[in-house]
Amino acid sequence: MHLAPWFWYSAIVLVTWGIVGLLQKLSTNEVSAESALIWLVVGFVVLTPVFYRGKAMFSYSALSLTYIVASSVLNAVGSWALLAAMKHGGKAAIIVPLTALYPLLVTLAAPFLLHESITPLEGIGVGCALIAVVLLST
Amino acid sequence: MTELSALKSKWFWYSVLCIVCWAGWALLAKMGSYEIPAEASQFLFAWAAVPVALVLLAGRRFKLEKNGKGIFYSIANGVLSAVGSWALFAAYRTNGNTSVITAVTAMYPLISVVLAIAVLRERLTKLHLLGLAFATAAFIIFSF
Repeated sequence: MHLAPWFWYSAIVLVTWGIVGLLQKLSTNEVSAESALIWLVVGFVVLTPVFYRGKAMFSYSALSLTYIVASSVLNAVGSWALLAAMKHGGKAAIIVPLTALYPLLVTLAAPFLLHESITPLEGIGVGCALIAVVLLST
Repeated sequence: MTELSALKSKWFWYSVLCIVCWAGWALLAKMGSYEIPAEASQFLFAWAAVPVALVLLAGRRFKLEKNGKGIFYSIANGVLSAVGSWALFAAYRTNGNTSVITAVTAMYPLISVVLAIAVLRERLTKLHLLGLAFATAAFIIFSF
C-alpha cells in the first residue's frame, strides 16, 4: 500500500495536535485560558530557531508572506473567539463540535479560491472525517 | 425556539467567527505554501502570533498566574502545536488536496480521546466509539 506524502505529514499533525488536546485540558486546569494561550505562543517562539533558514526567508513575494502572516493572525483570532464563545455562556459540549466544522467551509471554498475539486470517493472520506471530528469533540 | 435563541446569543456568533477564522487560516496557509517552504512558513507563523499574545497580556494588565505546572503544560502545548503547524504547512506544500488534508488533520481529537482514556482515565462514550468508526472509515478511504 502506497501512502501519499501528505498523509505522513498529516499523521504528524494528528499525533502532535492530539497530544496538544490533552495538554490544553491539563494546562487550563492550572491557569486561565488567556494565560494558557500566552504561554502557548512562548512555546511557539521557543522553537523558531529550529525553523530559521537564513535571510533568504524574507525574499519571498510580499503576497505569499502576507498569506502566511494573515493565516497566523486568523488562527489566533479564531482561538480567541472560541474562548470568548465559552466565556459568553456557550456550552463547551456544543461549541467545540460546532467550531470543529471549519474544514467544511474549507471544502466549500476550495473550488472557488484554490480551483481544486475532490473526487466522489474523497468527498465521502471528507464527510466521514467531518462526522468523526464532531463526534470525537463531544 | 432553541435554535432561534442560539442565533440571538453571543456565544453562537463567536463560534461562527471561530469557524470563519480557522477556515481562513487553512486556506491562506495553503495559498502561502505554494511559494514558501514549511520551515519558513512556521517561523513567520510563530512570530505573527506574538502581537495577539501581547494584546491578551495587556488585557490581563501584564499579570499571569505563577503556576509552574500550568506554565509547563502551556509551553509544551506551544512546542507541539508548532511541530504540528510545520507538518501542516509541509502537507499543504505536497500539492495534496486542501479539503482532504484539512479534514484529515482536523481529526486530531481522535488521539486526544485515546490519550484522555489512557492518561486521565476518562471513559469512552458511545458517541466517541461512533466517531472512531467514522475516523477509521475516512482513513481507509484516503489510503486508497
